[in-house]
Amino acid sequence: MAAKGRIVWVSGPAVKADGMSDAKMYETVVVGNSKLVGEVIRLTGDVAFIQVYESTSGLKPGEPVVGTGNPLSVLLGPGIIGQIYDGIQRPLKELSKASGSFIGRGITTTPVDMIKKYHFVPTISNGDNVAAGNVIGTVQETDLIVHSIMVPPDHPGGKISNMVSEGDYNLETVLATTEKDGEKIPLKMYHRWPVRKPRPYQNRYDPTVPLLTGQRVIDTFFPIAKGGTGSIPGAFGTGKTVTLHQIAKWADSQVVVYIGCGERGNEMTEVLVEFPHLKDPRSGKPLMDRTVLVANTSNMPVAAREASIYTGVTIAEYYRDMGYDVVLVADSTSRWAESLREMSGRLEEMPAEEGYPSYLASRLAEFYERAGRVKAVGSPDRDGSVTLVGAVSPSGGDFTEPVTTHTMRFIKTFWALDAKLAYSRHYPSINWMNSYSGYLGDIAKWWGENINSDWLSLRSEAYGVLQREDTLKEIVRLLGPEALPDEEKLILEVARMLKIGLLQQNSFDDVDTYCSPQKQYKLLKLLVEFNRRGQQALKEGASLADIRAMPIVTTLLKARMDIKDNEISKLDQLDIDMKEQFKSIIGVKVTN
Amino acid sequence: MTDSLLAKSIDKILEKTEKEILVNLENSFSDAKQTLDDSIPKLEQEFDKIISDGKKEADKIEKQIIGSSDLEVRNKQLLTLEIAIDKVFTKALEQIANTNRSADYSNLMKTLLDESTKILSTTKVIVSTNSKDKDLVQSLLSKYPGAELSSQTINCLGGVVVKSKDGAMKFDNTLDARIQRLKPLIRKEIATKFGVGN
Amino acid sequence: MTAKGGVQYSKIAEIKGPLVVVDDVENAAFDELVEIETKEGERRLGKVLEVGNGKAIVQVFEGTTGLSISGTSAKFVGKLMEMPVSKEVLGRVFDGLGRPKDGLPDPIADKFIDINGEPMNPEQREYPKDFIQTGVSVIDGMITLVRGQKLPIFSGSGMSHNILAAQIARQANVVGTKDDFAVVFAAIGVQYSEAEYFRRSLEESGALKRSVLFLNTADDPAIERIITPRVALTVAEYLAFDLGMHVLVILTDMTNYAEALREISAAREEVPGRKGYPGYLYTDLSTIYERAGKLNGRKGSVTQVPILSMPSDDITHPIPDLTGYITEGQVVLGRDLFRQGVYPPINILMSLSRLMKDGIGAGSTREDHSEISNQVYDAYSRAQEVRALAGIVGKAGLTDIDLKYMDVGDVFEKEFLTQATDENRTIEETLTILWKIVSKLPKNEITKIKDKYVDQYYQEN
Repeated sequence: MAAKGRIVWVSGPAVKADGMSDAKMYETVVVGNSKLVGEVIRLTGDVAFIQVYESTSGLKPGEPVVGTGNPLSVLLGPGIIGQIYDGIQRPLKELSKASGSFIGRGITTTPVDMIKKYHFVPTISNGDNVAAGNVIGTVQETDLIVHSIMVPPDHPGGKISNMVSEGDYNLETVLATTEKDGEKIPLKMYHRWPVRKPRPYQNRYDPTVPLLTGQRVIDTFFPIAKGGTGSIPGAFGTGKTVTLHQIAKWADSQVVVYIGCGERGNEMTEVLVEFPHLKDPRSGKPLMDRTVLVANTSNMPVAAREASIYTGVTIAEYYRDMGYDVVLVADSTSRWAESLREMSGRLEEMPAEEGYPSYLASRLAEFYERAGRVKAVGSPDRDGSVTLVGAVSPSGGDFTEPVTTHTMRFIKTFWALDAKLAYSRHYPSINWMNSYSGYLGDIAKWWGENINSDWLSLRSEAYGVLQREDTLKEIVRLLGPEALPDEEKLILEVARMLKIGLLQQNSFDDVDTYCSPQKQYKLLKLLVEFNRRGQQALKEGASLADIRAMPIVTTLLKARMDIKDNEISKLDQLDIDMKEQFKSIIGVKVTN
Repeated sequence: MTDSLLAKSIDKILEKTEKEILVNLENSFSDAKQTLDDSIPKLEQEFDKIISDGKKEADKIEKQIIGSSDLEVRNKQLLTLEIAIDKVFTKALEQIANTNRSADYSNLMKTLLDESTKILSTTKVIVSTNSKDKDLVQSLLSKYPGAELSSQTINCLGGVVVKSKDGAMKFDNTLDARIQRLKPLIRKEIATKFGVGN
Repeated sequence: MTAKGGVQYSKIAEIKGPLVVVDDVENAAFDELVEIETKEGERRLGKVLEVGNGKAIVQVFEGTTGLSISGTSAKFVGKLMEMPVSKEVLGRVFDGLGRPKDGLPDPIADKFIDINGEPMNPEQREYPKDFIQTGVSVIDGMITLVRGQKLPIFSGSGMSHNILAAQIARQANVVGTKDDFAVVFAAIGVQYSEAEYFRRSLEESGALKRSVLFLNTADDPAIERIITPRVALTVAEYLAFDLGMHVLVILTDMTNYAEALREISAAREEVPGRKGYPGYLYTDLSTIYERAGKLNGRKGSVTQVPILSMPSDDITHPIPDLTGYITEGQVVLGRDLFRQGVYPPINILMSLSRLMKDGIGAGSTREDHSEISNQVYDAYSRAQEVRALAGIVGKAGLTDIDLKYMDVGDVFEKEFLTQATDENRTIEETLTILWKIVSKLPKNEITKIKDKYVDQYYQEN
């Protein structure tokens, strides 16, 4: 039975109510006369401590609190793709119908259109036995997404009867009934799932397939695997959001869940305005047809910010269970951690570092653990993945603060953004000395099989140049560039070319914004060849000035912008040109 | 040294000097010319600048004068309007003060008392009112167990001030207080009647 | 609004810092407006921070100096704090709580609006992309401001941020439009002279009648500063979204705001975050900064230029740090440039406008704008490296190309950055100087600009 209590205390998003001995932990409750949504986060005697997902201004002690009996859940079914939700899965479009341009309070909506009809194609028949997770049919959700209708994971299973025939139905239509031990359960196009509980899977696979993002510094230097975890920390102005947008736009996953968690309103608007016009490079369809947004901007209630991460990851797992590769981008996990800190402070819990609660690390671990490439529950066999990428906004750009340090324990790819690079307009400002990827070895096989077997060695050679440059820079700083021998000066030159011609990428340039793996490989190869041939040329008597003056240098630097993905054979011509130009400056044939 | 040698030397020196003088003259002439040439556009620039500065200054002053005089006129309007509003207000208050204590008024008083005891969630209160309404209030109080009339009267148009017996809570439900709270709305109404405001 | 008022409670349990704790309170709401009355009959305003179990914690905006346990009473007014608004607020001067300070009566309200506002629905926002020409080259060319943006100025004590903000307020316009504009200025704990400078600057440009001023100066109550930006933004939103005006809001100095917030947090004995500032500073600041933007289907816009002074010029201090995470870029003033007498002393390498990319280009400024500004950023950054190197090895140790970059740095600072306080440059003038800078370099150094633009605009020496 549902708890019915009365408010006894209000302070910001935190409310205490008494008479709540029937309430359950993490139960959703309706708070006050204006019917705000809240969640029970602590029970002491008959007093419930509630975090309220809406502004509590004007709330008074004495007003009622009513339990719903259910934990905070999301509705999972067709119609989610293309939506923009708040932190507790209320569609912002519906909220605006109720309260206009500004977000009002106490508005109830359904997360998806329950009346809209979808064309349902059954894949099983009456008399079949189904178990939890089994697909009973499909609907075409968007041009890009075939939505599998699955038996809910917590369903006991049973024998199918009353199966509808192929046709158009809405979400509330009973598609079939299961029967087991005399209990009949209707199946509809949707079910609900509590957000704080990971959805089950059969087993996990090793992450061996790269998630290709079209961003050279990521794919070539610090790759992430499908089902992997990555973190992108950086001070403000280092281009975190742009990098995350780039991943959301170009990653080769079928579904993208983008969580704007305590960030800027205009950034969500940007996604909403831009994505419908951008085409997926593989399917040619609008990116919005595969994207779900969860927007709880910084000025929206702080408790809903805490929930938004779970809402997002549960939706991601749901599409994973259909067999899709899903990327979830969370911007920013620091703001999520701050919402934990704020609620913890109101609960008067003993704080750990910098006022964060002691369970910060375990909450982060739980979240990142929901990533993975898995075999889904039920039949037919479906393999899907959830890749988690979380932004971190360290205060003062200091990577030793608690959220960054704890996050580093649970992720395998670390893209360290660097304010100095950003100040010199080197974008993406991912620092190549401080970043790392734990997936290089795992995914080298994929590159070998799909692109070229020498990918890993080329990458190492290029990375070696960057490492050499890092040491040489110190000498230059102390003694000036003239102190170096020509061979080392060439290293500096090649490092500069790698930075401008490969690592830098202009996300606002139509050509440069996305770079196919083939083009990435060729650019990498050209620059490594330039280094090899240059060093050889020096040995054979060419001068550094001659090498620098070769027209191919500028051409190579601009190739990323000038040569489109569909004309990468032009890059082969550059290789020939380069060879010729080296030949002309030493007068003899340069060997490969 | 012979005379001729001397003469020669003197000639040489003279010649050299002459040349130098000539060169200097030429130089200074060209310098002068240069200076003159240079100074013409400079002068012109200077002249332009003086004019444009003057114009800028004039523009600035003009803008400023227009801006502030617009504003001054507007502000005078606001003040005049406020005087008018005050007059209407005073008049209205006088009328209320002089209302006959009719049955309607008695009902009003009862509503005010109901409201006050409800909001303080007790009827054990001390009620104050003005001398005119003292008797009326006294007659109403019998319906509120524990309520007493304060021996001291207060200065107000009408209505009551209700206090809890320990004095910790006070609810001002005089007509004056209510009118005061409604004043922004009343002002707007009056202003609209004057044909100003939104 | 109702005629029914609130109960006055006179059992004061505790007075600490800016807080008054009232006992035996039966009827009060979170965030409710409170009128504190002193023994002497003086009235002060406050609001409820926490209520329950018969107790209410009230934050007093005008300070608790002179309040005593006995004789003080608190009236819970029965509504949230509201600002009366109408078109007639233009040309008016208010105090930090929104009460008239110019000797004129209260505005006759068209509406009363809760000063906390409500969050804009991101789905209803219109993405800002209208280029604002400020006439300040470095901003227009390199850190472009657009309508509906929030772009703060990070400054340090004594630097010329107010002169710059005033110049922007005077000159800002969207080329080719004649829409209504307004300036809302909120002085938050600044010196009287600074507020007066701003007022005079608006007066001299004839813009005072299109401006609304909220003044909480250094000698005004500190806790009032929590309210000042909120009343200012409430008026700005009304002018923008009800009346369709384009409103530029200048908030100076947000550091004083954050300090007032810290004072309250300390009095409540909350667990502090960094440097004693409350853990919710980010969220709190966002409820101010996020009140900028444009909305679908409405004509006006709110553009914010908050100013904050970085304590000891430290950009990693929590106030600039958290601000930078919320705002759409930042304009950073540099102490070195300021010392050299450069105006405006903007350090472009640390500055950024996130919304620039959509506000510039063909149709708004010029098609080469994005690339030329990228190249100049790159070149100026190289120039700084070369300067540092020259400091060690001397000019003799530099290569020819290094020297060219030195030249770029000089031309940038002397001809592009430096500008008179009344000099209003068009965007064409600004772009021409940018090309002049880039043209100091040989063409093969130009790696960020497409050849067709180089062919068109490069100035051969």
